[in-house]
Amino acid sequence: MEPVLNLNNDILGLVFILLCLGLTLFFTYLSRRGSAIHIRDIPAFRHFHREVDLAVEAGKRLHVSLGRGSINDLQGGAALIGLTILDRCAREASNSDRPPVTTSGNGVITILSQDTLQSTYRSLAAEERYDPTNARLTGLAPMAYAAGAMPAIHDEHINANFLAGHIGTEVALLSEASERSRSLSVAGTDDLTGQAVLYATCDEPLLGEELYAAGAYLGANPAHIASLRMQDILRWALVAVIVLGAVLKLLGIVP
Amino acid sequence: MKKILPVANAIVAVVSGLLVLLGYFFPGVFGGLQSMLIGWAIILAAFALLLGIFNLGMVHWKKIGKDGSGSIYSIVLLISLAVTIVLAGLNGPTGTLSLWIFNTFQVPVEISLLAILAVVLVYAAARLVLRRPSWYTILFLVTVVVVLLGSVPLFFLGEVAVLTSVRGWLAQVPAVAGARGLLLGVALGTVATGLRILMGVDRAYDG
Repeated sequence: MEPVLNLNNDILGLVFILLCLGLTLFFTYLSRRGSAIHIRDIPAFRHFHREVDLAVEAGKRLHVSLGRGSINDLQGGAALIGLTILDRCAREASNSDRPPVTTSGNGVITILSQDTLQSTYRSLAAEERYDPTNARLTGLAPMAYAAGAMPAIHDEHINANFLAGHIGTEVALLSEASERSRSLSVAGTDDLTGQAVLYATCDEPLLGEELYAAGAYLGANPAHIASLRMQDILRWALVAVIVLGAVLKLLGIVP
Repeated sequence: MKKILPVANAIVAVVSGLLVLLGYFFPGVFGGLQSMLIGWAIILAAFALLLGIFNLGMVHWKKIGKDGSGSIYSIVLLISLAVTIVLAGLNGPTGTLSLWIFNTFQVPVEISLLAILAVVLVYAAARLVLRRPSWYTILFLVTVVVVLLGSVPLFFLGEVAVLTSVRGWLAQVPAVAGARGLLLGVALGTVATGLRILMGVDRAYDG
């Protein structure tokens, strides 16, 4: 019985991935043709551009913290979104005297953040602005990561902090440091406990799927808007399946 | 060369990602390749960690060069890093000296930070009313208080049955429903991010 169930699960998984891919490609095609879509207002992203402009005008820096998730497992997804935010920060603050500073709690994410900064400056023909010490590994354990990132918030003339990645309850310490240095904190994590803490401590929390919408809101690429539409459609489909399953179970039709 | 390298990087990343993904669905055909690629990734991650530690040393070396009140912390960090690497290298990660360093310095510091975290959370909860005055905030704080009171025996009263059962209901029904909703969003977001990487749209490896 077990192998048959596994086979069914594998086929369902493959069909789901292909469905996601098909919808993303379809909406990317529509998006490239200029078909406009409406996306709801998320205050955190509305404030992003304002904070970047303020940082450039005030000669201050932006801080992007990418968490301590490993790229080898599910936690890497949130960190990759953080890299997209880092790319947008570096682009929009490219004429600032102080380039953005990045902290992370994982070696691979640190290398990727250095790579992102370097490729962004290269694409802007400003490679001389790239400094590898602006992308830092602060610590590998949760508290070590937070303890290493806090001095960056306090001491580096930070105007706004974007915390995006796999970050647990230690995010409260980063938000507190941000509050004390009178800088804005915009934060999102894939960790449920971290999200609960964010709601209480952060200026602009990004909950659930909001973090993954960052690319679409920050104007990264048409594929980001397409994948946002794909997520919306599949979310409603999954909600319908869950409700249907609950009703069928309530009626005793399924065990 | 500057144009060829990013394209080659993208091809290697997309093909590797596809092979690992197919390995989950067709383990008989792609399972071996998948294991090999994941093994390579783990080795590369270990080297990335070494580079990250080198980067940490560089950052603090530069800080020492600058005049500032924080440079003493950088000196302490660099000395601690060097001593730990030497002792753990000679003694092994589970040797007496390595464990002494861990138990004497790392554990107390982390526990102290956890204690600070508890204070920060209480302070943040109190400040939330001023920061975000809304019905959701009041609901959030009332829920926190009820769950806390229902989790511990109270002075003179012991365990209050009503609070314990309300806490149980909150933890099992609304909290689980909310958590599932959030996890659904996170899962779909992770799939979308992975697909953009496989499509070569998001390239964090472009440098």
